[in-house]
Amino acid sequence: MPKILLVEDNEMNRDMLSRRLQRKGYEVALAVDGLQGVAMATTGGYDLILMDMSLPELDGWEATRRVREAEAGHRVPIIALTAHAMSGDREKAMAAGCDDYDTKPVELERLLGKIEALLGKQA
Amino acid sequence: MSGLTTPEAVAELRHELRTPLNLIIGYCEMLLEDATDPGQRSALEQTLAAGRDVLERINATVPPTRGEISEADFAALRDALREPQARIVTATTALLAADGGIDPQFERDVRRIRSSAERLLTVELPSGRGANHVAVTIEHPATGSAAGPAVQPAHILVVDDQEDNRSVLERRLRRQGHTVESASGGLSALEMLGRERFDLVLLDVLMPDLDGLAVLERMKTDQATRDIPVIMISALDDVASVVRCIERGAEDHLPKPFDPVLLRARISACLEKKRLRDVELEYLREVGRVIQAATAVEAGSYENGALAQVAQRGDELGRLARVFDAMANQVRAREDRLKEQVAALRREIGEARQTTRPSIRRGALSLPTGELFAGRFEVQEEIGSGGMGMVYRALDRELGDQVAIKTLRPELLQDLSLVERFKSEIRLARHISSKHVVRTHDIGERDGVYYLTMEYVEGITVRELLDTRGKLGTAPTLAIATQLAQSLVAAHEQGVIHRDIKPQNLLLDASGVLKVMDFGVARLAGGNANLTEAGMLVGTPSYMAPEQMLGEAFDHRIDLYAVGVVLFECLVGRLPFEANSAVALIARVLRDAPPSPAILDPEIPPALSDLVVRLLAKDPAHRPDNALELVRLLADLG
Repeated sequence: MPKILLVEDNEMNRDMLSRRLQRKGYEVALAVDGLQGVAMATTGGYDLILMDMSLPELDGWEATRRVREAEAGHRVPIIALTAHAMSGDREKAMAAGCDDYDTKPVELERLLGKIEALLGKQA
Repeated sequence: MSGLTTPEAVAELRHELRTPLNLIIGYCEMLLEDATDPGQRSALEQTLAAGRDVLERINATVPPTRGEISEADFAALRDALREPQARIVTATTALLAADGGIDPQFERDVRRIRSSAERLLTVELPSGRGANHVAVTIEHPATGSAAGPAVQPAHILVVDDQEDNRSVLERRLRRQGHTVESASGGLSALEMLGRERFDLVLLDVLMPDLDGLAVLERMKTDQATRDIPVIMISALDDVASVVRCIERGAEDHLPKPFDPVLLRARISACLEKKRLRDVELEYLREVGRVIQAATAVEAGSYENGALAQVAQRGDELGRLARVFDAMANQVRAREDRLKEQVAALRREIGEARQTTRPSIRRGALSLPTGELFAGRFEVQEEIGSGGMGMVYRALDRELGDQVAIKTLRPELLQDLSLVERFKSEIRLARHISSKHVVRTHDIGERDGVYYLTMEYVEGITVRELLDTRGKLGTAPTLAIATQLAQSLVAAHEQGVIHRDIKPQNLLLDASGVLKVMDFGVARLAGGNANLTEAGMLVGTPSYMAPEQMLGEAFDHRIDLYAVGVVLFECLVGRLPFEANSAVALIARVLRDAPPSPAILDPEIPPALSDLVVRLLAKDPAHRPDNALELVRLLADLG
C-alpha cells in the first residue's frame, strides 16, 4: 500500500484530502506545517509527498528545497499543491525540486493520475 | 479611477477563494461516493454544481495569467458569487435539516461545506503590500473598503468556540492593522480580560462553557471591564439573543457569515465611539480636578502646580487651568501681602491699647449701668458717645450674648415719618452681609428713647488709633483701606450708601479685622441734610464729599471720597483740608486741590499717594467707579 505524506496546514483540507486518498487505497501520514513536513520527510518511509505551498513559518517551496537538500540518493516524488494558481507557479515548483504540480480545488481524478504516474515511474 | 492590486495580492485573493472552494468540492464529491438516499444525492449534486459555478466565475475574473484586479472587478466578482454561494447554503441547510437523524460524520462534513461557502463571501481584496512591490491600491474612504490600514489600530479580543471563525476574524483584523488575541470560550475570555487591557471584544453568542450573554453580563458588572465595547457575533437567525445582548450593554452585533466591509465599518464606528467616550471621560476627570483646585483655593489649601497635568492640554480646558493656576497664585500672593499688612496694623493697635483710652464724657442720656434696660439688656459699660447719642456695652439676657446699644438723641426723631424712614433704612442695612460690617440687630424705643442694638465688637476705633499713634505706616493703612473697601462693596451691592465714613465709625478688633458701623444710621445724622437745616449737622464736614456739601445729587462715590480722607489722615496724620471754622473748611474742600501725601511725606509710595488724590477728586467721575474697582486698585498696589 503506497504511503503518502500530506503536508497541509488547513485542518479541513487535511481531513478532506486524506480521507479521499485513503478511500482510494493509500496510507496517509499528516504534517501540519513546513517544519514538521521536512522532519517527517527526511526520516523517510514515504512513497510520495503532497506539499501545500502556502504554509505558515516555512512555506512549501522552502520545505521542498530542504527535503531535497537532505536527501541522499533516493529521491521521493513531491507534488506541489496550491490555491494561488498563478501562471508561472508550475515552473517555480519544478525549480524548487517538485516533480509535479496541481491546483486547488483539487480535481481528484487528475491528482490521482499524477500520483500514479509518479509512483509508476518509481516502481 | 479604481484601485489596482499587485500580482501577489491577486495570488492571495485566488488562494482565499480557492481554499474554501476546494473544501466544498472535495467534501461534496466524497459524500456523493457514499450517498444512496436520492434526496441527499440530489442536494449534494446541486452543491457540487454550484461549487463548479463558483470556480468558473473566479477563473473568469482572475485567470492565472492575470496579475491585477481593480476594486470594481472585485466587487463584481463578489456579486457574481452570491448566487451560487446561496445555492450551496440552501442545499446544505436542507441536508442538515433532514428528518430521521443523520450520520455524525456526514453532518460534520456537510457543516464544513456550508461554513466554507459562507467564507467565500467574506473574502476581501488583499491590500497588496508585497515586499518587493510598491502598493498601488488606492483607498476610497467614501465607498468603504474591507482592506487597508485601520483608521485606529486597536487591541481586540475575539471570542468564538469555532476555530474557523476565530482564524478568519483574526486574519482579517490583523490585516486591518489591529492586534488580536483570541479565546475559544467564555471562561478563558474572562480570564484574558482580567489579565490584559483590550479596546474591543468580539463575542460569540453561542459557546459551550459560558455563553456570550453570561460573559457580557460579567463584563458589564466589573468596574475594570464595563467600559470595553462588545460586539456580539451571531448567526442571522438568532435575533432574540442579539436583542438580549444589546439590552445588556453590547455595542453592536455582527451577523455570520462576516461581511468584511460591514465588519470594518462596525469596528471602526465602535472604536471611534469608545475613543470619544474616553476623551469625554478624561475631560470630565480634568474638569473635576479644576473644580477641586477651586475648592482648594477657597479653603486656602491650593498647592502650586496642582493643575500642571491639566494645564498641559492644548484645548480650552488647558487654558482655563493655566489661567486658573496663575490667578490662584496671584490671589495667594495678595492674601499674603494683606496678612502682612494686617499684622502691621495689629502691632499699631497693640501699641495704641497700651496708652490710656480717651475718657468718655457722660451725657444727659446716659443709661444707668448695672441696671436692666428695656427688660432684657443688662447695661455694663458706656463705651462711646457721639453726635447721635451714647453707646453702651450690654448683655442681652435673651440671647445670652454681648451687644452694643446705641441710644439716639430724641430731637433726631421728632416726627413719626422720620422714625419710619429710619426704620426702613435700618432694615435695608441689615441685608448687608460682610465680616467688615457691624451687624445691626434691632431697633427699639423705651420711654421715648430710640435705640439700636448691634453686634458688640471688642476693639478700638481708627479714630482712637490715630489719636494715640498720630499716623500709620503704609502697610497698616493698606490693611484698613482694603477692608474698608470690601465693606463698601457689600453695602453698595445692596444699594446702601454709608454717607458718614469716618475714623470714628471704623472699629478694629485685636486681630486687625476692621468693621464699619452705623450703616443706615448716617441719613438720620445729616448725611442727606443740607447745611442750612439747623441742628442737623453732626460733627464736622471733614469727610464730606463736595457734591454732598452742595446738596447736589450724589451716589455711592461719596463713600469713596470719605475713604480718601480717611486714608490721607492715616498716612499723613492730618486731614487733607483744615480750617478754623466749618464754613472756611467747606470753602477749602470746594476750592482747593487736595495735597499729595507723597509730597508731604516722601516715604509714602507714589502709587498709593496718587490713589488717595484720585479718591479726593472733586468730580465723582474722576474717582474710581466703585468700591470693587478700589479693591482691585489696592490689590495692585500690593
